[in-house]
Amino acid sequence: MTLLEVDHLTKHFGGLVAVDDLSFSVDEGEIVGLIGPNGSGKTTVFNCIMSTYIASEGEIRFDGEDVTSEKTHEVVNHGLSRVSQESNPINLLSVGGNIKLFTLPNSFLACALPDAVLARRSDGGPGVVDHAERVGLEDKIEETPDSLPHADVRRLEIAKALATDPDMLLLDEPFAGMNQAEIRTLSEQIEQFREDGISLVVVDHNMRGLMQLVDRVVVISSGQKLAEGPPEEIVENQDVQDAYLAGEHGGI
Amino acid sequence: MSSESPSVRVTRRMKGTLRSALLPVWNVLCMLLAPLDRALQPIANVYNRTLGGHFGEMNGLQFAVISLGFAAIATVPFWSPFYSETLNITFAVASIWAIFAMSWDIQSGYTGYISFGHSVLSGAAGYTIGLLILHYDPSMGPATTIPVAVLASLVLGLVIAVPSLRLRGPYFSLITLVGVLLFTNLIFAFSGWTNGELGIHQVDPFTYEPWVRYYYMAIPMLLVALGLIYISRSNVGMVLVTIRENERAVSSAGLDPTKFKISSFVLSSIPMGIGGALLVYYGRAINPTSFVEISNSIEIIAIAVIGGMGSVVGPLFGSFLFFFLEEEFLRDVIGDSSLRTLVLWLFVLSVLVFARNGVFRVIWHGLGAVRGDSE
Repeated sequence: MTLLEVDHLTKHFGGLVAVDDLSFSVDEGEIVGLIGPNGSGKTTVFNCIMSTYIASEGEIRFDGEDVTSEKTHEVVNHGLSRVSQESNPINLLSVGGNIKLFTLPNSFLACALPDAVLARRSDGGPGVVDHAERVGLEDKIEETPDSLPHADVRRLEIAKALATDPDMLLLDEPFAGMNQAEIRTLSEQIEQFREDGISLVVVDHNMRGLMQLVDRVVVISSGQKLAEGPPEEIVENQDVQDAYLAGEHGGI
Repeated sequence: MSSESPSVRVTRRMKGTLRSALLPVWNVLCMLLAPLDRALQPIANVYNRTLGGHFGEMNGLQFAVISLGFAAIATVPFWSPFYSETLNITFAVASIWAIFAMSWDIQSGYTGYISFGHSVLSGAAGYTIGLLILHYDPSMGPATTIPVAVLASLVLGLVIAVPSLRLRGPYFSLITLVGVLLFTNLIFAFSGWTNGELGIHQVDPFTYEPWVRYYYMAIPMLLVALGLIYISRSNVGMVLVTIRENERAVSSAGLDPTKFKISSFVLSSIPMGIGGALLVYYGRAINPTSFVEISNSIEIIAIAVIGGMGSVVGPLFGSFLFFFLEEEFLRDVIGDSSLRTLVLWLFVLSVLVFARNGVFRVIWHGLGAVRGDSE
């Protein structure tokens, strides 16, 4: 079953066309890689899906519903969650506090209730510790984000996104700045998210980290779809190789 | 931070000098206070286990100081004559302004959306009572007028918040600024109803007994403090702080920032209404100067800044400090009233420059760090 449908999406900023008539879809339980050279519009696609930007044209449907013009928090409450390229934890709150924020109900009065009452309402659903465990941060809940190493801050970003209980995760360059061992651990965790019933779209500018992970790849260049298919096919694709060479990004 | 201005560099150097000059004093204090802190810890632990979850955990000294502080506020009429005859009255007024400063804080201090027009909310409550007594029924008592007055503040709060807090950035502050000017001019424009500058004087006070009057102001203040501290420590406080630090993060968490901003403003307008009503029955008069004019809003902000924005308890003690300095300490030291005001505002400025987080936070974190585990 199709979960996310991006339908003829176009986004321009003044005269610049960042995303040009792009269509793709993601099925339930799938991990799709969205790749393209730097500046090809990958992050803009995510920003349109999450309503950080308003799409100029086209439609975005999630789970059968049109979410194109919804506000960000409404999109999140539909079951979509995004991990940005930049980490932006609140350093005034602990790691646990940062995760907890993402578990809260969208109601002023409910947020004023004591935690014990709130937990009873959610019927023993996953708590802050459970979300931290999924990314291996359970020992650092009391620490503040500014004391964590880079890879842990990135894990925290993922834990936050998981805490909104999403059906689909959008990961923007999740492996950036990580070493080989960290990439391997994270890939395994992402694989586990899929086992837990979360579909994923992973953005990266090259295929290196994605080959083993994704079921399907969508390649975009200058905001347009260049190719789509299983990763083995994409690596061999002449158009894709040309696009990367033209952009002098040293191959996919 | 390479392009910092000379003034920033100078203040930083001054702060550095100040800190190293005070370090020996601090070390001696730590030596003296650490054993005391350790001795008090068991008592604090009882509190931490029971209420700490709702109002925040403390160490021994913090618990002792906050308990003494509240005990002092609760017993003002008994010890104030030893300092001065007027201290009683000064602290009654400080209680009312503590309500204003705490109300401002739960909205502006927490969300970072600074309101320059909070006196409009207390003014709405004040004029509601005044107009009811003047034009509707002079015999109306506080039991009827106060609930109506608080409702009026709440409605005005909604009227201001709903259109202005949908916008991001400085527009909200500008709208509150215009709002307070508009309200002031409305009072003058409808002088026939409001008595304009002269104000409304037909109000009977709660009581003429000064020490009873103090409790009429202090008890509601302590109840408001309790309520607002609870809310600020709940998840609501966390969401409001996140709006200040990174509004987009609130959206990403599936929470509607606009809804929380509006709710915090409306929440803030309820105690503003209570404070406004208390001010009516304290001063027995309602006029633009002491209720609505923008200087009142600025004073509310100054009090919150002195105590420490975004802490609720800070503005509470900030108010007592502000009025103690203004009406007692500086009055004894400096005869000239305009010079006195100047010194007071220089003090506010120096708090902003040297202790941006407020006097109360400096003391609080100091107390928390006497045993070396600095925060």
